[in-house]
Amino acid sequence: MATSAALPSQEAHNPFANVVRFIPGVLLLAAIGFAGKLLEQSINGYAKAHHLVIPNIEYVLWAIAIGLLVSNTLTIPKVFLPGIATYEFWLKAGIVLLGARFVVGDVLKLGGISIGLVVLEISGSLILMTFLGRLFKLRPKLTSLLAVGSAVCGVSAIIAAQGAIDADEEDSSFAIAAILALGAIALVTFPLIGHALHLSDNAYGLWSGLAVDNTAEATAAGALFSDAAGKVAVLAKTTRNATIGFVVLGYAIYWASRGQAEKVKNKGAFLWNKFPKFVLGFLVISLLVSVHVFNKEQVGALANLSRWAFLLTFAGVGLRTNFREMSKQGLRPFIVGALGEVLIAGLTLGLVIGANAVWKL
Amino acid sequence: MSEKKLATTATQLGLSLDVWAVLTSFFLALLVRIGLLKHIPW
Repeated sequence: MATSAALPSQEAHNPFANVVRFIPGVLLLAAIGFAGKLLEQSINGYAKAHHLVIPNIEYVLWAIAIGLLVSNTLTIPKVFLPGIATYEFWLKAGIVLLGARFVVGDVLKLGGISIGLVVLEISGSLILMTFLGRLFKLRPKLTSLLAVGSAVCGVSAIIAAQGAIDADEEDSSFAIAAILALGAIALVTFPLIGHALHLSDNAYGLWSGLAVDNTAEATAAGALFSDAAGKVAVLAKTTRNATIGFVVLGYAIYWASRGQAEKVKNKGAFLWNKFPKFVLGFLVISLLVSVHVFNKEQVGALANLSRWAFLLTFAGVGLRTNFREMSKQGLRPFIVGALGEVLIAGLTLGLVIGANAVWKL
Repeated sequence: MSEKKLATTATQLGLSLDVWAVLTSFFLALLVRIGLLKHIPW
């Protein structure tokens, strides 16, 4: 059943062949995402027709659950793997198009609150993870990668930092596995805690955007609570993502000063290279909507395109979470990550509750 | 890591994954604006 995804060498230089190999996996993402949506609609329709009162399980959870079931019970043929990895592309496109659901005033208000909280969250996370890494005697660069991953934006930050601080591939795999495993746990625990504490959509969205590390999981954790919370989670997470260049630059300078990484020659170019460009795309779309470049119907169409892009993302989150693979990465980085994440979740929850008391989110 | 492979492929196509995502979104927004894409259901 399995077929190889390896490309003949001439195809590796052919952009068309490179794009074609993504198709099977993208179709799988779409099929799983759509199945999740159909399941939600069918169950709700059945409950309504039979006058049953059952809790609404969002398509987000169905898409992730089907993806998890497939990836943890079947061997996914290699032909699907390149396309499954495109969930990150759909995530970023979804975030850009989500700009249509924010007028600039909302971005400035919530984004302004987010910036203050993000600075506190990043400082707290870096200090906590560095302390825990030393306490558990993790390798120093693995500690740096875990700190960057938990402070800023999960996998993207770890990949960006790995190159900048010359960390081993093994360290980066450890850190990524820990962050992804903890993200999967957050998908279950965050909505439960949010509902138990009766958080508002804005407060919960802000909390998941601040505390859940990987952007895809932060988006999903927000959407699992409510559509409005998902929107705010993306905004808070995007604010965190925007700081990636500064944090990675700090670590690059630190490791270069110890002679264990290359010196950063042009800091401005470094910051621009690491800056997530989709944040700018999100702001541009939000600005265009605010100045009425799009009419109401068109804004609705853009918002729905964003939802479809996120649907593929959520299917990808489930499909690329393989617990067997994660368990091979060892327990210590996971324990450090888990301890740190619990503390960061507590810290950010306190920050959000404080902000809620002041600004009535 | 599949994410790294995807990023490499995006770069081989001349631009980073981020920029491809932004350009694709802008193109879709343009299609919506000029009326070629409308009534996107959800």
